[in-house]
Amino acid sequence: MIRLVALRLALMLPILFGVSIVAFTLMRALPGDFAQASAGTTAISAEALETIRRNLGLDRPVWQQYLGWLAHALTGDLGTSFVTRRPVAGELLPRLAVTGELTLIAGLMAMIMGTATGLASARLRGATDWMVRGLNSLLLAVPNFVIATLIVLLAGLYFPQLAIFNYVAFVADPAGNITGLLLPALSLALTVSVTISENTRAAVLEVASQDYVMVARAKGLRRRTILVHYLVRNALTPVVTVTGLQLAALLGGSILIETIFTVPGMGQYLFDSVANRDYPAIQAIVLLSATIVLLVNVLVDITYARIDARVSYE
Amino acid sequence: MTAPPLLQVRDLTATFTRGSSATRVVQGISFDIAPGEAVGFVGESGCGKSVTARAIMRLAPEGTPLTVGGSIRYRGQELTDLPEPAMRDIRGRRIAMVFQDPMSSLNPVMTIGAQIDDMLRRHGGLSRQAARRRTIELLGLVGIRDPALRADDHPHQFSGGMRQRVLIAIAVSCQPDLLIADEPTTALDVTVQAQILRLLLRLRRELGMALMLITHDFGVIAGMVERVHVMREGNIVETGATDTIFTAPTHPYTSALLAAVPRLSERGTA
Repeated sequence: MIRLVALRLALMLPILFGVSIVAFTLMRALPGDFAQASAGTTAISAEALETIRRNLGLDRPVWQQYLGWLAHALTGDLGTSFVTRRPVAGELLPRLAVTGELTLIAGLMAMIMGTATGLASARLRGATDWMVRGLNSLLLAVPNFVIATLIVLLAGLYFPQLAIFNYVAFVADPAGNITGLLLPALSLALTVSVTISENTRAAVLEVASQDYVMVARAKGLRRRTILVHYLVRNALTPVVTVTGLQLAALLGGSILIETIFTVPGMGQYLFDSVANRDYPAIQAIVLLSATIVLLVNVLVDITYARIDARVSYE
Repeated sequence: MTAPPLLQVRDLTATFTRGSSATRVVQGISFDIAPGEAVGFVGESGCGKSVTARAIMRLAPEGTPLTVGGSIRYRGQELTDLPEPAMRDIRGRRIAMVFQDPMSSLNPVMTIGAQIDDMLRRHGGLSRQAARRRTIELLGLVGIRDPALRADDHPHQFSGGMRQRVLIAIAVSCQPDLLIADEPTTALDVTVQAQILRLLLRLRRELGMALMLITHDFGVIAGMVERVHVMREGNIVETGATDTIFTAPTHPYTSALLAAVPRLSERGTA
């Protein structure tokens, strides 16, 4: 198991290397740069633009810029923001923590809602099945930013005491911080829970028709034992897969949702950085997000091996 | 003079309903199984022999409504209208079953030992340690080598024959009065088939349980059971002592089934 984890972690390095190259070149392929963006609509001389570029090293060939960035990145220095002139890492980490918390809460919500509705749908069938599947289709058809906007509108109109836009830091007020994130997390979780729910339902139905479930019934085992040890444990593998994949989607979705709920996470920061062509900041965000997604994938693989002894990565 | 029957089946019918159409697959059969007796049910696939077993166990496949009519009495107790919790106490504890396909009949994510343990703990009320000891004993009884070690293995580490041994160990773990074996050797290699049949024969003797052996193959019945019921299209068409059926079948269908069994004597001993 330790070898598996070490191997998977080592494999992350070439992937992150590739991601850094793609992000670096793509950003510079966009029209405009920081010099133009910071000038905005004010008239500015060509010489002044050149000076800004030279100071930031943007006048050098892209590959030279990349090697320079890489040399710093390998020592743990993610560069300095063009806009604030402060280290990117210091700017990013507190925002990443907020986004991480939001994603985590949303992920937990989605897992609980998804597995519960999927399981109920598969085991109870009938009216429950119809209801869950109808609701799932509806939620799947509505993008999460529309759900978020609706939640903001409804809460704002009918429950003004909910104070949707009052984000407070965790250290200042832990309870207030978490309750403040519940609605954004819910709007993120709903769409994702649909995927988990549908997959749980399919997996449980598939497992229920297996011979070993019939054998378990022939053994006279109690319903609960069969449900937990035979149905759920076997249905878990496909459910863990989609949940892992969906966590990456949650991270992407949180960027939109944060903007709607004015949560000071990575979302707003990424948006501003792109608008300003703040290359070091964007580069750091992309790299960190990729790292998180890869780590989640490793976690999923470890979970597989824990659930199912047939899985081996040797 | 004769002992009261262990299992008494009267006018058993079984009907599958799918949508508005109903298919009656067992057409009102009656038979008895005495304590410790071994009875064979022979017939081609679809003749209703497996459904008869499922009806006794009250085990319909998931999502397939099976309506059972007639009477099934176990030691005088009617099973057809028994509440489900009471039926769960009969299943596995009094009447146990071995299925056809050992490759898909074990839970792939649980260890072999755990799948015997849960049965023992359910019916025997054994402690974790006691169940564990008994599990290892049972694995040894069905001929698994190094049972204490193998108990921690998962099903995929066992061959088909070994898995069927494990499933037999599960079935006999609570010393049932009646073991229903539904095509227990059909999915296995020929050499392994003989081993499994010998194992069933030995366990039946040692544990003194009755055996209901269901098969399409007369070759499996020989030497295993005292009496045979020949089934066709949901009816029992012939019943008799095994020797009589083999030497002097009365029903033409029985003769046809017997003729379908390949014989060594036809080539070898002449």
